Amino acid sequence: PAAGKARIAARLKRSLPVRGPQAPTLSELMRWYCLNTNTHGCRRIVVSRGRLRRLLWILLTLSAVGLILWQCAELLLNYYSASVSVTVRFQNLPFPAVTICNINPYKYSSMKDYLSELDKETKKALETFYGFSEGKSKVRRSADEWNSTESDFFQQIPLLKFEDFSRTVTDLRSGQKRKIEGSVFHKDSSIVNSGDSNDIIGFQLCDANNSSECALYTFSSGVNAIQEWYKLHYMNIMAQIPLETKERLSYSADDLLLTCFFDGLSCDKRHFTRFHHPLHGNCYTFNSGKNGTILSTSTGGSEYGLQVVLYIDEADYNPFLVTSTGAKIMVHDQNEYPFIEDIGTEIETAAATSIGMHFTRSHKLSKPYSDCTETGADIPVENLYNKSYSLQICLHSCFQKAMVDSCGCAQYAQPLPAGAEYCNYKKNPNWMYCYYKLHEKFVKEQLGCQQICKDACSFKEWALTTSIAQWPSAVSEDWMLRVLSWDKGQKINKKLNKTDLANLMVFYKDLNERFISENPTNTLVILLSNFGGQLGLWMSCSVVCVIEIVEVFFIDSLSIVMRRQWQRTKKWWNNRKKDQSGKLPQAGDPERQGHDNPVCVDEDLPTFNTALRLPQASPLPRTPPPNYSTLRLETAFTEQLPDTLELGQR
Amino acid sequence: MNLKKYFVRALHRLQKGPGYTYKELLVWYCDNTNTHGPKRIIKEGPKKKFIWFFLTLLFASLVFWQWGILINTYLSYNVTSSLSIGFKTMKFPAVTVCNANPFKYSKVKHLLKELDRLIEAALERILQPTPGNGSENASTPLDLDLWYQIPLVLIDEHDKDNPIILDIFEMNQTTVGNETAVGNETAVGNETACSHQGSDNCTYRNFTSAVQAVTEWYILQSTSILSKVPLQERMRMGYQAEDMILACLYGAEPCNYKNFTQIYHPDHGNCYIFNWGMDEEALNSSNPGAEFGLKLILDISQQDYIPYLSSAAGARLMLHQQKSFPFLKDQGIYAMAGTETSIGVLVDELERMGYPYSDCTMNGSDVPVKNLYSQYNTSYSIQACLRSCFQNHMVEICGCGHYMFPLPEGVNYCSNEDYPGWAHCYSSLRSSIRHRQICIESCKETCNDTQYKMTISMADWPSEASEDWIFHILSYERDMSTNVTLDRNGIIKLNIYFQEYNYRTISESAATTIVWLLSSLGGQFGFWMGGSVLCLIEFGEIIIDSLWITVLNAIGWCKGLKQRRARVRYPDAPPTVSELVEAHTNLGFQHEDAGARAEALPPEPGTPPPNYDSLRVQPLDVLGPDSDAD
Repeated sequence: PAAGKARIAARLKRSLPVRGPQAPTLSELMRWYCLNTNTHGCRRIVVSRGRLRRLLWILLTLSAVGLILWQCAELLLNYYSASVSVTVRFQNLPFPAVTICNINPYKYSSMKDYLSELDKETKKALETFYGFSEGKSKVRRSADEWNSTESDFFQQIPLLKFEDFSRTVTDLRSGQKRKIEGSVFHKDSSIVNSGDSNDIIGFQLCDANNSSECALYTFSSGVNAIQEWYKLHYMNIMAQIPLETKERLSYSADDLLLTCFFDGLSCDKRHFTRFHHPLHGNCYTFNSGKNGTILSTSTGGSEYGLQVVLYIDEADYNPFLVTSTGAKIMVHDQNEYPFIEDIGTEIETAAATSIGMHFTRSHKLSKPYSDCTETGADIPVENLYNKSYSLQICLHSCFQKAMVDSCGCAQYAQPLPAGAEYCNYKKNPNWMYCYYKLHEKFVKEQLGCQQICKDACSFKEWALTTSIAQWPSAVSEDWMLRVLSWDKGQKINKKLNKTDLANLMVFYKDLNERFISENPTNTLVILLSNFGGQLGLWMSCSVVCVIEIVEVFFIDSLSIVMRRQWQRTKKWWNNRKKDQSGKLPQAGDPERQGHDNPVCVDEDLPTFNTALRLPQASPLPRTPPPNYSTLRLETAFTEQLPDTLELGQR
Repeated sequence: MNLKKYFVRALHRLQKGPGYTYKELLVWYCDNTNTHGPKRIIKEGPKKKFIWFFLTLLFASLVFWQWGILINTYLSYNVTSSLSIGFKTMKFPAVTVCNANPFKYSKVKHLLKELDRLIEAALERILQPTPGNGSENASTPLDLDLWYQIPLVLIDEHDKDNPIILDIFEMNQTTVGNETAVGNETAVGNETACSHQGSDNCTYRNFTSAVQAVTEWYILQSTSILSKVPLQERMRMGYQAEDMILACLYGAEPCNYKNFTQIYHPDHGNCYIFNWGMDEEALNSSNPGAEFGLKLILDISQQDYIPYLSSAAGARLMLHQQKSFPFLKDQGIYAMAGTETSIGVLVDELERMGYPYSDCTMNGSDVPVKNLYSQYNTSYSIQACLRSCFQNHMVEICGCGHYMFPLPEGVNYCSNEDYPGWAHCYSSLRSSIRHRQICIESCKETCNDTQYKMTISMADWPSEASEDWIFHILSYERDMSTNVTLDRNGIIKLNIYFQEYNYRTISESAATTIVWLLSSLGGQFGFWMGGSVLCLIEFGEIIIDSLWITVLNAIGWCKGLKQRRARVRYPDAPPTVSELVEAHTNLGFQHEDAGARAEALPPEPGTPPPNYDSLRVQPLDVLGPDSDAD
């Protein structure tokens, strides 16, 4: 049975998958590893003489390992970094969409029916508080016979005059003084500390359901107060008018555009697309790409851009809503929604505004390099605008959604979400208070919109250089106005005034497109190269070494430990059996099973070296040489350097 | 000597045959190479050997694949850009100032008199469409020759299919079938020069606005008239430096109109360039702020404008690099009369590396377009290239040069008298997308691109309170008279200065250099196999060795064949040394275990050791102690 057992053990050994350095003990294994490994340093530990040197080499090796780990960790951490490259290409450039609006949204004359009451109220306020009466003002109003059926909502939000923070106010309508309650918001006074607070004017917004909840808005200047107040009511009125009517009330393309010239050719209103902006009325977009073609420019310079003469009918302006004259323009991409109220450029009348453009395209890398979004599809905010994603769109949509959720109706300046309608007093008497509260929250970043919305990864930018010249010049004014009046001829029967006209030139300064793009600095290939460089620099190591380490430190050590455990238990078992049966132990000691054990001799083919040494192949008289070629050093040390062998010689 | 030695040795080896076999060579290589994998193949047991063999192959192929990627990356010549921003002492930009109006009307009146009368009459007709009650009877007869070359017409397109063309002076209505419909309203067109062979070849340029039609028509006509005037005369007709530049201050130093270089610009007449750097050193500015910049007061005398030529009034100015030609139509800005315009400058530089990293040109010498602006001694720019390209096409196709661009040698400017069809030719060329595309493709932008980013702000100037004395002094200084000859409509103040951060430089550097490539290649090789260049050389050596073995084997085989034949004849011939060696290395023996073979065949006493230098590695127990003991 013993022979059979041994045969089985031998066969097991042979068929075991791991047939590497089956050193008997861990220290033998380490020694073997250090002598045979491809990494530098480890070998030095074994072959160094003297403790100090050995210690030094251990330290050096360990620090090299530490450095490798540190550097590789750095490499991994910096994996997601981007480098920026700027490329300039000279080419045909697509002409951007140019959106042009009159600053005044609707013709004042046609808005009379809707606004007469509000205007009357405003004038009354002006007269009550400031003693200003219209008299023989330039702008006449025929709103004297207004009916007071709808005036009740003016009473809800009247203009108030404060007296020295004593919480006593003068009501505009009744002229009576009364005490007010509620929390006071100082819209302006937190910024401007006005010395004499006698003439503070403002208005009060109350929660209609709970009239003790009031917010008070005060302004240091009556100009701001009246404009804000007017706007509030104005939006309320406009929200009730259907879109078609509003488009009719606003300027038509023929009204706004007198002449048009693009790339050396005449253009007309068919090149413009109407776009209704809630605050600016009808705007017209040149080259909007609606009909599928986007115009491009192949020559820079002012002659080849867009040249438009705009008719700004200053006499038909709303005196309270807008206080400046001119047009607002914006240069944007065809897919981009023009937030003209936010980022438009204002142009002056009686002047030629020349706008030189320089085109820059940027692209950022999205996740994981930076926190931006490619299409906006991963943003949990519904895009209310029918345009491609931008940060502005997201913020506005987010606010509108919050507005619909908490106030039950939509704010006038932004598009309608599905199933919602614009706020007005009749249906949502509470909306204004709600809106102001919500807006306050939005500005203070309490709505979470700023956290949800991310910026877009790629964007196009047209850098504008704006300059103004007098137009028409003194000597050409005469014929120019005459001919322009003739151009307009059919529609109006008066001679144009130069303050009603604005000349606009939008052109490319040069056809260089700058493309700023982020590129990943690291690819997997480069990361691996860098790893290899680090491993090679500090220890001359490679993946093979890593495999070796895994093999030696995990598989082999584990198997050795397991084997010893196994042998110990076997011994213990045998001892118990011996105690029981009184027989001598049969199993060989573990030492003989190491690599010195002939059973364990590797079946390597002889190398060329061994082949060369064939004549003296007879084994040395002392011990049979181990079969690893590097281990043969050991015998040399046993002869010459016995002092270094306290580790090796056991 | 050496050569002879090698030769002898080679002969010797040829005679004795290969000392060892492929297998031995391979085993030896695997054992001694510095790459990490092969050693394991021969050192492990048969199963692990197999694993290691595959691992080594896998790693080797990985290395080659990654090398391919790296080399590809290198050959794509990527660039990275770095941005630096700040303030440093920099060259103050060259400042070109022009009047928006090219000539003083009082000086060119005699040339344009006929044209002006013509256009006035035409306008009269247009504005009062009912003929007969015009006042043309009273005036002197018009020069209708000028008119008939390029007449202005009214195109009535109420009926889209056959629009009615109405010549303004002839009042005869013609219907043209092939007219492109412009709209269902009246359009003004000008018939640009039917080429004179026949009126079939007419094209109408339509304008929806009479203003544009008149302006374009006037520009065409006046171009034709002015192109005949010699350059000296034209310069005299323009604004003179002393009339235009009233005051100049650079930092704390006074300057005057003499510090400006005059240049004739076809669009804007006389232009004056400050700090062009042509003759003198360019000025440096080492401080930001308006105090240290250039302050100018200009007079554009708006009353003397040509009424139909330029409708916008103001100064045209442009900041550009020293020694470059100012292309005011592209890069220029306006300054309005009666205002003070402050321009804060930021120099935006882009430095690129050129071929093969980016497609740009250093000095324009490799661009196939003849640069016509080199006659101004200016440097290459993309605008110059495009304009030269256009002018070259114009000369090629129309036979004459356009007035707005410099002339190539031996060519004249176009005018109605000499080249009657030029306007037609020009407008077809101008709207030809194909020609533009050719120019865009043949011109390259410069590698070092400098742009001046301007922050423009304006204020009314002079203030009402100071108006009187300022006008008085300036008029006195210019005209030496106490009469005020200036007014708000003509006077412009300019401040041009560096901003607090005056430069922003984007410079390109190669993302992948040869050093990068080598270290990445080394990294890859090292990472997977622990190899280096020397390993490659080792490998090459092994290949040479195996080739050598092949050669020797082949020779040996031939020899053996010969000897076998000989042995057939003389069966008792004694074996030679080489024969014995061959027996030793006979493939038939190799199948068996090498150790067994070694025991079975004791080496021949006469076998010399193999002769390769690289193979002369001593057994470790002989060499080891010497090299490692210290």
